[in-house]
Amino acid sequence: MNLMIGRMRRVFAVAAVVIGALLAPAAAQEPMFTKPVHIGVLLPEEKPEAGPFWAEIAKAAREGTIITEEDFAFNAELVGMDFKVLTEAPVRGDVTAAAQKLLDAGAFAIMGGYTNAETRALGVWAEQKGIPFINLGASADNLRNDLCSATTFHLEPSAAMYLDSIVGWYVRSGLRQWYFVVEDTEEGRAQYERVRWSMQERHFGAREVGRMNLAPGRPGGANLAAAVRRSNADVVILLQGAADQLVALKDLESGGVPATVQVTGYPHTEAQTRAFYAASRAAAPTLGVGHRGAAWEATIDAYGAREYNARYRERWGVPMEATAWAIYHAMRAFYEAAFFNEGKTDPKSVMNYMMNPASVFDLHKGVATSFRPWDRQQRQSLFLIKINSAERANSLLNQALLVGELPAIYMPGTDLVERLDQIGDLANRSRCRKPTPLR
Amino acid sequence: MKYVPVRHAAVGLAFAAGLFVGSPALAQTTQTMLDATKPGDKYRVYVANEYNADITVIDATTDAVIGTIPISGRPGLVRPRGMALSPDGTIIYVSISDFHPEFEVTEDKIVAIDVRTNQILQEFRAGGNPERIALSPDGKQVWASLEALAQGGGYDIATGTQFVQFRVGIEAEGVAVSPDGKWVYVTAEATHTTTVYDVENKKILKHILVGNRPRAVAFSLDGSKAYVSAEIGGTISVIDVNKNHTLVASINLGLDSRPVELVVDPSGKYVYVAGGGTSAIYVIDMATNKVVNTIKEKMGRRPWGVTITLDGKKVYTANGLSDSVSVIDPDCMCVIKNIAVGRGAHSVQIGRIPAGV
Repeated sequence: MNLMIGRMRRVFAVAAVVIGALLAPAAAQEPMFTKPVHIGVLLPEEKPEAGPFWAEIAKAAREGTIITEEDFAFNAELVGMDFKVLTEAPVRGDVTAAAQKLLDAGAFAIMGGYTNAETRALGVWAEQKGIPFINLGASADNLRNDLCSATTFHLEPSAAMYLDSIVGWYVRSGLRQWYFVVEDTEEGRAQYERVRWSMQERHFGAREVGRMNLAPGRPGGANLAAAVRRSNADVVILLQGAADQLVALKDLESGGVPATVQVTGYPHTEAQTRAFYAASRAAAPTLGVGHRGAAWEATIDAYGAREYNARYRERWGVPMEATAWAIYHAMRAFYEAAFFNEGKTDPKSVMNYMMNPASVFDLHKGVATSFRPWDRQQRQSLFLIKINSAERANSLLNQALLVGELPAIYMPGTDLVERLDQIGDLANRSRCRKPTPLR
Repeated sequence: MKYVPVRHAAVGLAFAAGLFVGSPALAQTTQTMLDATKPGDKYRVYVANEYNADITVIDATTDAVIGTIPISGRPGLVRPRGMALSPDGTIIYVSISDFHPEFEVTEDKIVAIDVRTNQILQEFRAGGNPERIALSPDGKQVWASLEALAQGGGYDIATGTQFVQFRVGIEAEGVAVSPDGKWVYVTAEATHTTTVYDVENKKILKHILVGNRPRAVAFSLDGSKAYVSAEIGGTISVIDVNKNHTLVASINLGLDSRPVELVVDPSGKYVYVAGGGTSAIYVIDMATNKVVNTIKEKMGRRPWGVTITLDGKKVYTANGLSDSVSVIDPDCMCVIKNIAVGRGAHSVQIGRIPAGV
């Protein structure tokens, strides 16, 4: 399906309507691009049973895709580019069938993947087809390592990036006694091991004072709260799914964990939504208004993000969620791969552009970013947000507030790439053995 | 609101014989200014303070702050940003918008300030977050980038009305008029383009692909070249105006440089670039497209605005993160003074008070 274009043009044409004849004629230049630039977006499957946070992601993806298409269609028209966004949503979880439809419809590149399982399947499929794929929402480190795909690029930050940011933030804040609640799954255990590594190798001074492993859906209840109290922890890290984090917060607060204890959780995409922030506060009015890591935050007002966030709010009446942000910038990466490369859309040209050290990407985060060569992870800074208390949370936007950014991007005299690589895994830790198929 | 002079400062402007001063739009004003200037003229530096909603006024001879011009009683909500100078140097134009980049609000306007009195002479509507402005060489028109509308706009100064609006890329930002008045260039941050508007034929000529996130644009004095800064790309794109407005070179300043404003020096040989990311001023030899100097020591933080006197004796930068203006001596390529101004110094311009006024 081709999404409706129009709002942006209407928006940008408002003044034209008002001033009528004042509007200058359109460009008469020769088209710079002769080949179609059609990009495929896999939308999240509508799954009512998946809960409210998934519904928020699905909504953000739909809205984000529309405004993204509007922006880039506007850009493309300026230069005579035949640009189109193609969209599909999977049926009964079959993401590769949906991706194949996009490919058959003429997309030269695909973006999608809102869970680790989806991204894993799409990565295998994209590698077999030899087409570039951008992962929008899966942070698992194994997708960048043993399970890496040669044609998969990750816009979503890796778990290692999120966890290094969180550890760095709390260690620098002087919080030394850490308690872990770990989801007893491969992913939960991997996150825990990565946090431990970060504490030992990157951010010294903190120590583990306790841990509880919990199966998904199993609450810790009063035992968890008692264990945390006994541990004398000053920070609790919930390495669980979004819904389980809320249960744990409620258990900790009702179990008498003092307000001096900071509680944070792993920032799954679902746990970066405004709906989650509100639910966190509702579950635990005191402990649930702590700091969280995020790939994007709707209250950023620097780096052109003020205008970008405002355009989104104006378009949809709601703040931009991380999923919408990811779609915009994945589209931008593919669009620019054609735009800055004479319109070439064959896979190798696109991947060459994306992997070229001279190519830079603007994520509305203030500095030029790039894809890491060893695992195709987009380097970027991450944000720390504070969930607002009930008194301050007087609007959807005000559910949270930007409070920090890691790593610091303003450090002239140091190397930008090295600066961004302060979070996440470097090449020497990478277990990805699949080089990008360049020419 | 009235101009507020600094009482303890040397309010009487010092005599500045022979000190010719210019602006980022130097190429457009040089000859007219030279024709107009006389010994005994006095000069004032104007700084748009984005977060203070006011303009700081500095005596160009003593480099002392001599007053403040309020733009709005709502600092933090109303933002003065781009500035331009009338050809004879006696009027400063400032583009005003708000911090909510909606389509058009009452704050979206251009104000004209009389350099002699520091009073606002005129203001007119400029819909859609006007960010930067430029004057036509005859001083009769002001051109604006309308950021929220993805449009460029032309305004007749005598009537204060818009006479044309044309499409550019998303997040329109930089604007410049060629010295012969034939072309208006408008950059667009999110589209990576510079749009060329043909003034005489009243049509868009083309959109040029430039560096990543283009910000400001300036013409060489002879109008043969245009220079476009690209903040994320860390480059200066060089456009040959006479070769159908074709990109002919890209000067790499480094990814951290985050260049914004640029100004061509009066000799026409060098372009000074404000490097916001490195808190540096880059000096580029226009003949070779090479960086021949990088001024960092004692620079204020995040310079975005830059201008130079017409005699080339002093360069002024507007430093947004240190709320200051740095004064550079091009002879030593060094900072000779830092001046505290208002919050969020965005742009800087220099106005002229004719002798005898």
